[in-house]
Amino acid sequence: MSEKLTALVIDDEKQIRKLLRIILEDHDYRVLEAENGRQGLAELAQRKPDVVLLDLGLPEIDGLTVLKRLRDWSHVPVLVLSVRDGPADKVAALDAGADDYVTKPFAAVELTARLRAVQRRSQSVEDEPVFHFAHLTIDFTSHTVAVKGEEVKLTATEYALLKVLAQHAGKVVIHKHLLREVWGPNAEEQSQYLRVYVNHLRKKIELPGKNEKLLRTESGIGYRLILPTKQE
Amino acid sequence: MGSKRLILPKPAMIIEKLGQPQSWIGELGIATAATGAVTAVSFLVAPLTGHVGIALLYLFLVVLAGLTFARWTVLFVASASALIWNILFIPPSFTIYIEKLEDAMLFAMFFVVAIALGHTTNKLRGSQLAQQQREQRTAALYELVRQAGLAHDIDTGLAAALALVEATFGVKAALLLRLKDHTLSRQTHAASSFEPRAIELAEKAFSGRDPIGRFTQTLPDADTMHLPLKGRSAIMGVLVILPAADKRFGASEKELIETFAVLIGTILERDHLLAALKHAEIVEASERLQRALLQSVSHELKTPLAAVQTGVETLTGAGSAGTNEESAVLEIQTALWRLDRVINNLLNMSRIESGVVQPMLDWCDIGELIENSIDLAGEVIKEHRISVDSDPTLPMVKLDQALVEQCLCNLLLNAAAWSESQSKITVSARLRANELLLMVQDEGKGIRLVELPRIFDTFYRGQAAKPGGTGLGLAIVDGFVRAHGGNVRAANREPKGAEFEIAIPVETLPATVMEKLA
Repeated sequence: MSEKLTALVIDDEKQIRKLLRIILEDHDYRVLEAENGRQGLAELAQRKPDVVLLDLGLPEIDGLTVLKRLRDWSHVPVLVLSVRDGPADKVAALDAGADDYVTKPFAAVELTARLRAVQRRSQSVEDEPVFHFAHLTIDFTSHTVAVKGEEVKLTATEYALLKVLAQHAGKVVIHKHLLREVWGPNAEEQSQYLRVYVNHLRKKIELPGKNEKLLRTESGIGYRLILPTKQE
Repeated sequence: MGSKRLILPKPAMIIEKLGQPQSWIGELGIATAATGAVTAVSFLVAPLTGHVGIALLYLFLVVLAGLTFARWTVLFVASASALIWNILFIPPSFTIYIEKLEDAMLFAMFFVVAIALGHTTNKLRGSQLAQQQREQRTAALYELVRQAGLAHDIDTGLAAALALVEATFGVKAALLLRLKDHTLSRQTHAASSFEPRAIELAEKAFSGRDPIGRFTQTLPDADTMHLPLKGRSAIMGVLVILPAADKRFGASEKELIETFAVLIGTILERDHLLAALKHAEIVEASERLQRALLQSVSHELKTPLAAVQTGVETLTGAGSAGTNEESAVLEIQTALWRLDRVINNLLNMSRIESGVVQPMLDWCDIGELIENSIDLAGEVIKEHRISVDSDPTLPMVKLDQALVEQCLCNLLLNAAAWSESQSKITVSARLRANELLLMVQDEGKGIRLVELPRIFDTFYRGQAAKPGGTGLGLAIVDGFVRAHGGNVRAANREPKGAEFEIAIPVETLPATVMEKLA
């Protein structure tokens, strides 16, 4: 970790780029800037940043197109910056290969937490056979889940669902993706499965009380297993 | 309204009969033939009846002629009958000479009676026809008012009016209407049945206010007649009629068609005034809305901006104490949150007003929906006691979760704004038939009855509203709920407080499916 990580910011708003630079440099990133999609793609090919922050509302080539072109040849984690529109744009971006999104206006804490989660992606289950945060422990080798050290019985489906969410911990996972991973490609439209099982899962892994929420619903988009913030 | 078909029984024919007879010679021919036929019959029956009986046959012929033909024809039949009777039947036959005095008297009497009879029956028929024609005109005008004046839209009405003109007068009709800039359109109205060529005549009629062209004093050689459509205050267009080349127009027909033109003009003018009135109302409403928008939005945007500015100045100001700094940051945060909410409201409202809100229906858990809405309302409702009353066994429902969460959140914010802190706000959910009912109840001041019908209006704010707020929250609730095909209602509670209930028709996931999945 001696090497500084590089972040590429693609946004046409100068003020946003400036602001992101302040936040990112504060968190030890080296920052590259691009003010449109073409420049962004060129920077990406040349400088190979570790993470990309991409605005969806770019002039000329819009963000979604940039994302699709970029995904043709790069696996770099992409965090999408979007203004508050319907969930449809976000789902489209996530479906096209974005790793997560933040909605403008965003808080610095939220942004850096998302960035950290997005970069975790490269770590696979094999690297980390036991996953734990807050009160939850998941042992991927023995397929067991424990809450506060006590094992809870999950059905095979519940476990599969939790596993997908944990693999993307901290990041939003869209409905379609969850359904495909857990129930197979034919179940992509069967969102009712998801609601029922998320409900069951919540009852088993979440502790009573509001602040203990683990599974957050992103209305119209998907679910997110919340990573504890650093302060906790 | 009634059918658009015309119910008049061929008015054209009847009107023609009273005007100049179409074929003088034809009528004379028929009269001659009839006289001939009666003469032939008379030859057959003369041996039985004698020449006096024959006179009755001829009188009968004159009566029939009086009922059918014009006056001169009747006179011709009467004279011809008298002469033929004299020559052929009064002895000595085949001479004009009459032998006996009584026969001469009979002949004279016959002549007088025939002429008188023919004249009287002819007059009778005339008045009957005039009566019929008056009825016909009244019926035509009535039909014009009924079909054109009371039509749902002006184009249907004009089409009916033109059809009526064509059926009544047996002509082709075309309409040229006045344009918005008060000049005459060169484009004929869609209902016209021909394309008038002499546009300059129509222009003249339009500017000169008098009929021009065929059947008029001015340029009677033209093919077409041009009638200005006079309204009360302006000429609304020109009616152009194209009669067949041999068509004649009597005075009564001219009068009738001019009345038609005035009626059509009045109908057009009325429609024009109605449209102008409606437009004025819309303009006024939008101006009012714009004023409200400017007032409330500029206030709602400027207040938090001012707070941010002051806060930043405090932070950058030299020598500010630590506690001040902390509260300045807090103020800035609150102001930013408020700014964000105002902008969000404006965006949502513009989405609703431009009609682009289309709910993306998906299965959703009601308990989760309520929790998310409470989270969404955030700090504003922290001072209130929120109580959730929802059956955890409610089935899943299909709706746009993000939109409904926003609705419930707005209702919560509204409840918090109108009630004391520490008072209770209850959120409840239940299913009734195929409807999801979401209710928010507070213990606040309630809603003044006079304001009840307006609280969901865009930018409407209660008279006693606390400062801050755009008057958009409830309008957004209404818009989103409507997009779901549902409705929202407000009422007061006993002993105090208000309640808002959202009713949305939803599909539910049957309990059996839920169990199977579990």
